[in-house]
Amino acid sequence: MPLALEGSQALARTVALCRPQVVAAYPITPQTHIVENISRLVADGVFDCEFVSVESEFSAASVALGAAAAGSRAYTASASQGIMLMSEVLFNIAGLRVPMVMTCANRSVGGPLNIWNDQQDSMAVRDSGWIQLYCADNQEAIDTTIQAYRIAERTELPVMVCVDGFTLTHTLEPLELPSQEEVDAFLPPYAFSRSLDPAHPISIGTLVTPEHFSEVRHAHHTAMVKAIAEIEAADGDWQALSGRSGGALLESSGPADATVGVLTIGSIHGTLLEAMTEYPASEPVRLIKLRCFRPFPAAAIRAACAGLERLVVVERALSPGSGGIVGNEVRAALSTMEQPPRVENYAVGLGGRDVPLDLYPRLLEADGEVGGFSVFDVDVSRLAPEDQ
Amino acid sequence: MTTLTRGAYAHPETSLDFKTGTWRVERPVHHHRNAPCHVACPAGEDAQAYLASLEESGPRAAWETLVAANPLPAVTGRVCHHPCETACNRGAYDESISIHNVERFLGDEALRHGWDYPGIPARRDGDAVAVVGAGPAGLAAAYHLLRLGHPVTVFDKLPVAGGTLRTAIPQYRLPRDILDREMERILAAGMEFRAHHILGRDVSLAELQAEYPRVFLGPGCQVGRAWSVDGVTPSDLHPGISQLQEWIAVGAAPEARSVAILGGGNTAMDMARVMRRAGTKEVHVITHKAIPGPGVPAADTMPAIEREVRQAIEEGVVVHEHRGVHRLILRGEKVIGVEIVHMKKMVQENGRLKRIAFEGTETVLHVDQVIPAVGQVVERHGLGTILAKGRDYLQADELGRVFQHPKLYTGGDARGDRGTVAEAVGDGRRAAAAMHADLIGVEPVPEVKSQPIGIERLNLNYFEHAPAPEEKVLPVEDRGETEEIEGGITARQAAAEAVRCFSCGNCFACDNCWTLCPDNSVLKTRDVATDGTHYVFDYDYCKGCGMCANECPCGFIEMEPEG
Repeated sequence: MPLALEGSQALARTVALCRPQVVAAYPITPQTHIVENISRLVADGVFDCEFVSVESEFSAASVALGAAAAGSRAYTASASQGIMLMSEVLFNIAGLRVPMVMTCANRSVGGPLNIWNDQQDSMAVRDSGWIQLYCADNQEAIDTTIQAYRIAERTELPVMVCVDGFTLTHTLEPLELPSQEEVDAFLPPYAFSRSLDPAHPISIGTLVTPEHFSEVRHAHHTAMVKAIAEIEAADGDWQALSGRSGGALLESSGPADATVGVLTIGSIHGTLLEAMTEYPASEPVRLIKLRCFRPFPAAAIRAACAGLERLVVVERALSPGSGGIVGNEVRAALSTMEQPPRVENYAVGLGGRDVPLDLYPRLLEADGEVGGFSVFDVDVSRLAPEDQ
Repeated sequence: MTTLTRGAYAHPETSLDFKTGTWRVERPVHHHRNAPCHVACPAGEDAQAYLASLEESGPRAAWETLVAANPLPAVTGRVCHHPCETACNRGAYDESISIHNVERFLGDEALRHGWDYPGIPARRDGDAVAVVGAGPAGLAAAYHLLRLGHPVTVFDKLPVAGGTLRTAIPQYRLPRDILDREMERILAAGMEFRAHHILGRDVSLAELQAEYPRVFLGPGCQVGRAWSVDGVTPSDLHPGISQLQEWIAVGAAPEARSVAILGGGNTAMDMARVMRRAGTKEVHVITHKAIPGPGVPAADTMPAIEREVRQAIEEGVVVHEHRGVHRLILRGEKVIGVEIVHMKKMVQENGRLKRIAFEGTETVLHVDQVIPAVGQVVERHGLGTILAKGRDYLQADELGRVFQHPKLYTGGDARGDRGTVAEAVGDGRRAAAAMHADLIGVEPVPEVKSQPIGIERLNLNYFEHAPAPEEKVLPVEDRGETEEIEGGITARQAAAEAVRCFSCGNCFACDNCWTLCPDNSVLKTRDVATDGTHYVFDYDYCKGCGMCANECPCGFIEMEPEG
């Protein structure tokens, strides 16, 4: 029976169902409700874990790292500047191949200060070596969080579940929460193979000299590439158990003969689905929802784009001076196709800018530069004169 | 090749595969440097070493360390002018270690417990050596020759040993029971002592040289230097040294209401104090040089020990510094006064200072005695041509070998430029080492002393401020002819001094290097350490950060560039 739950509340309950032994987090908008709800569950005795209140995101990530290295299932959550502050630790967690799960309640990164949603924060740490899964709605956030623990523990790689701030975290939806039995069946108790144990001491994160560092990076990259199979398997197995799929690496919808495609990442997918009904297009359109950004599923993207002549990549972050982060990577992936589609690339909904339904027809009508990139919907009159 | 673990985890000790020592551009090394007290000691005592022994193993071990250089610590601890304390780095921090008092304490402990000298072999089958003069130089030479395995015979004109220690140092500075017991022990160390032997009367130098392959001459300076003012001398003139000797031997001092003693050395000061004790109301000391004190350059100060000058002034002796005798005022042949004049320093053309009378500064002192104490010379009798005509002293190289007489050695006052007991002991020790080398067919080499370690090389953050011990001193009104003025320090005070010692240039096992090394590259081991410390550097892993050298309180660790 579906429950009407705020996204953050649902995520807190989902985290509790996954039974991490240690949670360490520091509040930041728009992640705060997740942590608040977890602490309430702990205080109410519903959720048995060591909840560590820390003084900063750096410590939050460090505590989670230490706990995971000592063999605990660990969890943290953050956003925006918090992700920036813990970024050093994020690289360490991944580089040390310590499995854990965190939620990124996606928010823009200052300055200037902006507390609203885009995906610049998780995109900024895309090279940290974490698996990154982007959720299109809150049901997916629930299911992905559960799957994330299994992926992390099987690959010994940390997983970041990215959930659009406010749009998902602060929105009430009817949601299916799995039972504890279902989750326990999917996530058996975990034993970390290199757990810190005072009786059998080891050092982790020791010095690695130039003789070995290339091998370290090679091994990490290979592990990420191999994780694609685990991500697909986790989604498949979860679907068998719960009847719901998040789409594994990506999900493609629309007619098979479509020649125009729109690729999105995160919650914009839902808006576009709604818009397709509201604004029927003159030609068939294929909607591609990219769920897995790291590892980057190049082969799956090429398969999803088969037959397309035109692809519009819509994303919620950018690499200033370069263009769209997702767009550029998609272009690179498609470049090996015999007849790749023309790719247009737009950044939308930056810093909480509204993404209305009529974005869909405007995107299709836009005559974007092929191979180019622009921030969509810029009102030049709002710029300082010298920047117009 | 080492295989990598996932996430670069490592089992204990596996990180030892990474030899981080290859990163090093400088390496720490243990470097023993001589402490300033050691370098400054004319007798060659290593005070730092015996203070360390005192702290680590107690008084007997400390005394044994001490007598490896100087067999007479109960004597030198009392009479030495202790340049070690002037040199002591601690003096620039709060107060110098009271080294002379620790030395005296150890010497007295040895006498009290009857400790025997260590390190004297029972079997002494080296070549025999004769020593002329049982003063500090001769006895030190004899003692070190015994240690080196030589039979030694000591000749002296007096019935007992001690030389100048006995004949010219008043009891209030050196009590006779202390001297007697110190002499008793050193004679018992294994040397043959032939008393009542006057060189040239009872035994000749030629006879000695015929019987002994090497002879050490330690005659001291027993004769007062001739003195007059423009050829004029009073009829009843006696030099200070002989009057001092007479007073010490039989208690006779010249009767005088007022006296002028000429000279600024220890004989002058002793004589002045003796005259005060003998009842002379006015005792004037007239010296070209300055009263020692802070800021007075060493070259300009009276040669007497500062402590003795201070105590003499306390006892009422009037010191006229920078003054010379211009004229004797005689009635008949008797002195009724001296005219003294300010002596001015003038730089000569050759750059040396010369003192000249400052005309117009003449003043008259009414005295009925003048006692010259302007230096002593070697007694010529029995030395023949060894003491060249026109010379007052024996000429020798730095090993003590008399010029042109390679089988004769000398040391102490007879060299003319010494003048202290400690220097005599040092001369005796060096001459013994040189004679030994000579006799076993090795070319003797002079001692090389490294530069003393300066206070800037120490890390003073590890030392707490603490005062020097207060010594009991007899009040002026209680001072007499025999009772010792200085009271020494207690065992507890001596132990506190050992703790105060900075241990300059020498490890005292504080564990700083071992504790603070960020790479665990200082290994604590007494088994493997070969340099007397508790530590070895593990150069496989030491990155050369220098923290150990920086945090070593003693300056014992130095950073050297990697070759």
